[in-house]
Order: sequence, then structure tokens, then C-alpha cells
Amino acid sequence: MKPETSEAPQTVLVVDDEPTARVALAARLKRLGYRVLQAGDGKAGLDLLRRERPDLTILDWMMPEMDGPSFCETVRRDPTLLSSQILMMTGNDQPEQIAEGLARGADDFLSKAASKYEITARVQAGIRAAGLIRRLEDVTAEIRQKQEALEQELQSAARYVESLLPASGPVVPGVRMARLYRPSLALGGDLFNIVPWSDDFLGLYLLDASGHGVSPALRSSAFATFLRRDSLMRHVGSNDPGAILTEANKQFPLTERGHYFTIVFASLDLRCRILSYASAGHGGALLHRRSGEVCWLAQPNLPLGFDPSTTYVTATLPIEPGDRVYLLSDGLYEFPAANGELWGQERLETTIRALAQQPLETVIAETIAEAVRAQGHEQFPDDVALMGVEIERELG
Amino acid sequence: MAMQTKERPVPNGVMLELTGDLTYANREQFKTAVESIRQKGCRHLILNMADVRFVDSSGLGLLALVSQNFKLSQGKVSMLKPQSYVREIMSLANIQKLIPVYENEQDALAGQPKAA
Repeated sequence: MKPETSEAPQTVLVVDDEPTARVALAARLKRLGYRVLQAGDGKAGLDLLRRERPDLTILDWMMPEMDGPSFCETVRRDPTLLSSQILMMTGNDQPEQIAEGLARGADDFLSKAASKYEITARVQAGIRAAGLIRRLEDVTAEIRQKQEALEQELQSAARYVESLLPASGPVVPGVRMARLYRPSLALGGDLFNIVPWSDDFLGLYLLDASGHGVSPALRSSAFATFLRRDSLMRHVGSNDPGAILTEANKQFPLTERGHYFTIVFASLDLRCRILSYASAGHGGALLHRRSGEVCWLAQPNLPLGFDPSTTYVTATLPIEPGDRVYLLSDGLYEFPAANGELWGQERLETTIRALAQQPLETVIAETIAEAVRAQGHEQFPDDVALMGVEIERELG
Repeated sequence: MAMQTKERPVPNGVMLELTGDLTYANREQFKTAVESIRQKGCRHLILNMADVRFVDSSGLGLLALVSQNFKLSQGKVSMLKPQSYVREIMSLANIQKLIPVYENEQDALAGQPKAA
């Protein structure tokens, strides 16, 4: 909140078509220390209200053309004016009339017969309410501003995270990749990549930082930096997925709040037709062979950081042209379907199997679409990433 | 679903009975209960999981953290009777390597790795 910079006098607007009464009230208010504006009819009053935003408006009920209640209704319909405090003055203070005035938008009533003490007290009460409303408006505006700034920061961080992801398309001649990424918040904690280490050798991974929001996204991008080829050569000195995860496990311990990574890391050796992989607590990886066979690349292994002494071991599978490898977030199958049950790996596998004859891009898009249909809405509770890699060419 | 915790002394340790879900939403409650037991000098914490329906990724991280913290203070953590779904989640992440799983209290107290 901004500190009160000065004690400027509060402003009261008096709207009354009778000059004598208006001038007398204005003089009294000036004596009480207020700055006073005067208007002789409703239209002039509205103009002043818009221009000067007085703290309080004292309004006569009976005026030609625009009477007090119509004035109030106009103010309450105008979003820029609707929080104005209005004290309505009338010579006829019957309960029905008071009720009507309040119903049409006045905040309080003042009888023309009121004592000067009552006038003073009601004006002060009105000014007090105006002050509270103004503070509320200031704070709301400030919160909204900060919120917008924060959201812009998040959007810009999200664009950075997206820029770390590979673009769908050919990776090396004969190998294509298609992918989809749906973070659950603006910023996701899942990252994946596929990098040609040579024309015949590709490294690929998908990692999932536990938790949601800014902190997992930061940890993920630090991890992605560790997984760059030059860094791996320096820290691990090997292409071997198991060796890479064993070292990563030492580099990324559990945080003090119990956050960690799961990851599957694979390499494709196109010359020797071998898929090598290691996983750390990550269940979302499968090989869909052209023959129709599906092998989940699952190893029951601790997530990274759970135990610094863990050794992660590489497993291998032969690959053939036409085979497809999918790396995916567990968020793509561990979500409650519309019936409350978990959708699960089996349904995901069935979906991917059924799309075997479709182009890779269609498989990716349709698999996500099927999961969306199963949960009955667009918004996944967790980050969802899916990367498919197809070996097209006749291998050496 | 919220979580309830109830502790009782057992020979050379403390049994913590958990009811509810071990998830992100309940992490502070779980951490507070476990930390207060550890700071009292407990050397063997047995988590009774019989009434835990669900453990999410955040819950798994907490279990690992608790196991590491007990190890640092020369203690250990065991687990009793996880439900089948929880058992499945934990075996995918190989948690029983850190936290041995037992089917009855006697085995857990004796530390005999009879069941996995």
C-alpha cells in the first residue's frame, strides 16, 4: 500500500437546485474543513462527480429534470462511479420514501430538518465509508497489477521452458519425432528432448520433476542443462544411459522438501539397431514394434535422489525400421477417468496399438485426444508430455 | 482425503498409524508427525499403511525423505501392510529397497525381511 502522502482536505459535492439551501450547506461544510463543490442540477452534478471524484456527494431528492433517485441509478450503473458514497437529502423523510431512495442507490439519508450535529455526524460517517472503499479499491488495483506482472513473468518463463523442447520433424535422415506438451499450470516440470549425437546415434529422454509450478520448472531446466551432450561428456564421460542416471542421481539429491526427478533416458544406435535405456522411477516409456508388439521400457528403480548409492543399469532391446519409441509423462495415464477409476497404462497401450497404422503425428494427437475424452475435460491434473520417435529408414 | 495420524510406543520404536491419503495436500501433517517422533530420539519408525488408500508422487518423495532423515540419526523406517494399489506404486519406484515392507507387526519389530 502507498503511504498517505498528504492530508489534503476531503471533498464533498453538493447537488441541489435551490441556491439558498445549497450555499448554506456548502458554507457549513467548509467550516467543518471540507473542500466543497457545488452543482445546481443532476447533470452538472454527474459531470463534477466524473471529473473530481469527490469523497461524498450530498444530493437533493427533488430536482427538475434529473431527480435524486435517478441520479443515484445513473451512478450505480456506471462502473467508474458506482462506488461513490451518496447521502440523499429530503424534506419528506417517510420510511417508504427512505426505503425507495436506498433501493434506488443512495447510501444514507439526511432530513432537511436535521440538526447541525446530525448533519456533521452523517457526513463524517459517509466520508469514513468512502475512505474504506477507496482503500479497498487501491489495494485491489495493486493486487491486480502485481498479479498481472507475476503472470507475465510466468508466461515468459513458460516460453523459455517451451524453447528447450525439440521441434517435431526429422531428427536425422530416417528418424522422425512428433511430440505434444500440455503443462498443467503455465509452467511445467516435465521436460524431454532428442539429440543426435551423430548421424547414427541419438540420445533421448523425458524427465518429470515432482511438484507443480515454478520450483519444479527451475529444477527441470537445471537438469536439462546437465543432460546436454557436452556436460554429459564432462561429468559422465559415456553415452551409457545407466551411467548417466547413476551420475545424475548423485548430482540431484532429494530437496529438503522431498522433491525429486523421475526420468527415462534412452539411446538409439541406428547402426547396431539397438535401443538402450535406463529409468529412474519413471514408468512412461514404451517401444511399439512394427510387428505390433509393445514393450514397456520399465525397470523398477528408485527415482533420482532417493539413495545416493544406487547404480542404474542399462537394458537393451533390438530395433527395426518401422518401430516407434514413445516417452511420456505418467500424467498421461495416471489420471482419474470420468468414472473415477484411474485411466492407466493398459488403456493407454490399447489406444496406441489401435493407431498403429496412422502416421506418427496422428498417433500423438489422437492419444492425447483419447485421454482427454476419457477424463471428460481438457485440463489434465498433472503435466502431460508425449514424444514419439519413429525409425523410418532401412538401417545399415 | 485428509490424513489422521496416531502414534503408539512399541519395543525399541514407535508405530505411526496413518489413515487417509499420503499426498501433496497432507504433506505438512505427515512431516510434522514424523519429525516430532524422530526428534524424541526414536530409532525405529514403523508406518502402518493399512488405512492409506493412495500415495502420490509427493508422498513417495516424503517417504524417501523420512527414510534419509532417520538414517542420518542412526535410525530406520519400516512399513506395515500397504494396500495393493499403494504397494504397486511403491514397487514401481522400488521403495522397499529403502523402506522394508512387512505383513505383521512381529516381523516388523524383529526386522526380518520376510515379505517384500
